Amino acid sequence: MKRISERGSACALLGVMLLAGPVLQAQEKQPAKIKATSIKVAMIESDEIKLPAEFQVSLYEDLIEQLHKKGGFQHVYRDGDRHAADAADLVILNSTVRGFKEGSERVRQVTTVAGATSISVHCAFTNKDGKLLLERDIKGNVRFFGGNLRATYDFAKKTAQVARESLSPSAGT
Amino acid sequence: MPKFARHAQELWSDGREESKEGEMVAGVGRVVCAGFLLVLSGFLAPSPAQQSAAPTKVIQIMGLTGVKNKTKGSLAVEGGNLRFAHGQAKVDLAATSVQDVVTGNDSERLIHGTLGTLTMFAPYESGRFLSLFRTKLDTLTIQYRDADGGLHGAVFTMPLGQAEVIKKKLIAQGAHTSAPTPEGADNASPRASNAKEQKP
Repeated sequence: MKRISERGSACALLGVMLLAGPVLQAQEKQPAKIKATSIKVAMIESDEIKLPAEFQVSLYEDLIEQLHKKGGFQHVYRDGDRHAADAADLVILNSTVRGFKEGSERVRQVTTVAGATSISVHCAFTNKDGKLLLERDIKGNVRFFGGNLRATYDFAKKTAQVARESLSPSAGT
Repeated sequence: MPKFARHAQELWSDGREESKEGEMVAGVGRVVCAGFLLVLSGFLAPSPAQQSAAPTKVIQIMGLTGVKNKTKGSLAVEGGNLRFAHGQAKVDLAATSVQDVVTGNDSERLIHGTLGTLTMFAPYESGRFLSLFRTKLDTLTIQYRDADGGLHGAVFTMPLGQAEVIKKKLIAQGAHTSAPTPEGADNASPRASNAKEQKP
């Protein structure tokens, strides 16, 4: 009876170690978050790619909305906002469109598999002095349902998630 | 009756007859004048101020402060403002605060909204067939600054041919564009050289 309970406790210990191992490893691998209480979103640039004006505006507005909702910042400032100059721990988000393929809602609805719209945007998070803190290439797609502008919503959601994972108001720089 | 009283009565009756004739002549003159003006009115072009009377039915896709996305309403340019009205609420934007106004084109399903979504579940893939039928739309994209200097963008869709009219009115009231029409080239912003307008 005693032997059985010893074996049971050993198995349980092994199980805990196996389960806890990856979790602990993941915690160790997580990079330190950058301290940022507020963010300023610069207007989307598209010098190399010809981007329709409605996509440019939609990217910008969706980005601001998603950063408000899911970014975890105290303030989200717009491009040119005078109040941003006084903000502490401000991060500036500069986005440049690197790729754009305008699909067709009609083709998506008729074929289901073709007509996807995709946007690839290079996002650079810098501090007030222009020092690069973080950069990522983020894609936005619409494959099945919705209009072409839904790709900008997809991009904005992903960007807000990246910002939430990498930047935090409570981080110690 | 005394002589002078009879004379006075004759004079009064003569005067009344003369004034009646005069009134008739004046009345005919007025009618001829009115008819003449009516004929001429067909050749007179209305001024730009008179043209801005009727608002355009639009859908605000996104961007106007205080208005939900995909709100139906009407858009008009009056008194130096771009006015979006939906129900009782009205949002005014000064035309001078508009930094860029660009038109484009888009399309939507002929049967859209909730009914359009329901047709996707119609039998024998008839929903896909209905998706082939679409109506063309104009888009109007504006960029404007708020009181703090913050940049905003707004996108509207409207019936075909209306966006260019609103754009011209906005430019006439002091808005800028990066994609000028030939007449409005002098109002173009410095970015005009690298911007191209979407045309159907």
